[in-house]
Amino acid sequence: MDNAPDFSSLVDLENCTVSPIAFSSEAVYQAELEKIFSRSWLYLGHTSQIAKANDYLTTFMGAEPVIIVRQSSGEIKAFLNSCRHRGMRLCRRDHGNKKLFSCPYHGWTYDEKGDLKGVPQLDTAYHNELDRSAWGLIPVSRVETFEGMIFGNFDMDAVSLVEYLGDMAWYLELVLKRSKAGMEAFPGCHRWRLGGNWKLPAEQFGGDNYHTGALHRSMSEIGLGPKGDYRGDNPWVRDFEVKCINGHGWINFDVGEDEVPPEQARFFAQLREEAKETLTPKQADLVLCAQVGTVFPNMSIISFFGFTSIRVWHPLSAKEMLVHSYGLVEKNAPQSVRELTRKAMGLTFSPSGIFEQDDGVAWGDIARFQGGPIRSKHPFNYQMGKGHGKRMEDKPGLIGTCSTEIGVFGLYEKWQELMSQ
Amino acid sequence: MSSELRLELEEVLIHEYWLLDNNRLEQWLALICEDVRYWAPVRENLTLDEECLEQTDLLTHFDEDKVTLGLRVARLRTGSAHAEEPPSRTRHFVSNVKVLEAVSSLEVVVDSNFSVFRSRPGLEEHWFVGGRTDYWLKEKNQWFLKNRFIKFDHDVIENITVFV
Repeated sequence: MDNAPDFSSLVDLENCTVSPIAFSSEAVYQAELEKIFSRSWLYLGHTSQIAKANDYLTTFMGAEPVIIVRQSSGEIKAFLNSCRHRGMRLCRRDHGNKKLFSCPYHGWTYDEKGDLKGVPQLDTAYHNELDRSAWGLIPVSRVETFEGMIFGNFDMDAVSLVEYLGDMAWYLELVLKRSKAGMEAFPGCHRWRLGGNWKLPAEQFGGDNYHTGALHRSMSEIGLGPKGDYRGDNPWVRDFEVKCINGHGWINFDVGEDEVPPEQARFFAQLREEAKETLTPKQADLVLCAQVGTVFPNMSIISFFGFTSIRVWHPLSAKEMLVHSYGLVEKNAPQSVRELTRKAMGLTFSPSGIFEQDDGVAWGDIARFQGGPIRSKHPFNYQMGKGHGKRMEDKPGLIGTCSTEIGVFGLYEKWQELMSQ
Repeated sequence: MSSELRLELEEVLIHEYWLLDNNRLEQWLALICEDVRYWAPVRENLTLDEECLEQTDLLTHFDEDKVTLGLRVARLRTGSAHAEEPPSRTRHFVSNVKVLEAVSSLEVVVDSNFSVFRSRPGLEEHWFVGGRTDYWLKEKNQWFLKNRFIKFDHDVIENITVFV
């Protein structure tokens, strides 16, 4: 283990730089688990994935395995997926429906509320002296939802989810609330392991449109990406990036729809009409642009080519992450559109995605070749667009044109604030 | 079912992997029917009864037709597909070839196991392992792939830059 650096010195707020140590140090990673992941709102899943009473879903919050459970009352609770006796995971399946959660190891059994109900040999082995009320599952202190997205927070004193999202909520609604029917998750989850620090994809989705021209050049070359360098024709209006509060960020840019199959084009037209009712007029104007964003710290959303993916960058170490990516689609989408949506997601943004393959290589390469004492002394540059963001009347947040790093650096401002506490 | 047919199909599968290992991707595409479905659903940790790989809507690692397979190959040829630039070294292995159903001597459903080794720049080495159920058609004395259903044996997978 490396010596713990002074976390507050890793981000230079004046010069907009970040030390490579923030991405390579195991001591930083361990501190992040405590200071970031134990206090922030973290994405858990989508309400449609646990629609019925006693449905459950397993995932992670930072390094902690968790279970999300739909209660008989309809409420949603979440617990550490860890038996209080020896810590084995209670649920080793990805999802299912259960009234009781029984540990495979010794059989301690908990109900949907997390209360310890059954202990084998409670009388003969524990002599009825075990206080079961003290050994319930460790709860996720707060669980709240926003437009179908379920978030959890270990910090009982955290602000509400809506307050935490702040101006980012306006942008998330552009995707999640563009239909009357609302969205649901496709069955299944893309799970893959990637080299790289979790902050790299989080910052990229939250405000790095700049990389697309170089890293994804092959896509333009085969006619699938925007031409040129992705600056867009309507800066400030339809092509812009946003620094939101609390480290959240958003990218919005127009993509032509020349290539969209007719059934999808018809559905898009329907969504544009529905959005006039479900959203404000200014929001409705932006519906179905390419939209990419990050909710600090590690949830991102990407919506274009007709698909919407929500992904979580679970940290495994300073240099490795586990990616979960879920697909969302409007509940009222015709089957042909659902199919196009699922295929587009697999083709472009997935473990085999012809965009995302290249991202994985960039993040992995950065991770593998950091940590040397010389490189560690020279910070990374986040100065693009510094001082050029502006407030606008028609949309919230601090707006910059494509490309800018004001949103990206916003993530590190929040990171530094939490890491210094 | 004749062992001759099994041997014939095994020969086809070995040839296919020889093409992939030797970067003859265009020749590999030529073995594939225009209306192919080349697909690989995601795997989940569920009971055997619960995991239904053929359910509609289940997310897929691949769900390709000839057009999208062609796009994947074209991208690799641009010189700027950074995930494969410089290209990884791959070695494709096929085994356990079993003819499940010979609809006729010209239409065959065949199962096989695969493993693909990939070595990438910077000490990265990965294996992709799984099984496949293929549907091959013979036309003008040549076999063409009409359907390939791929079962990866990984629930958490690596970045997939290879064809299997």
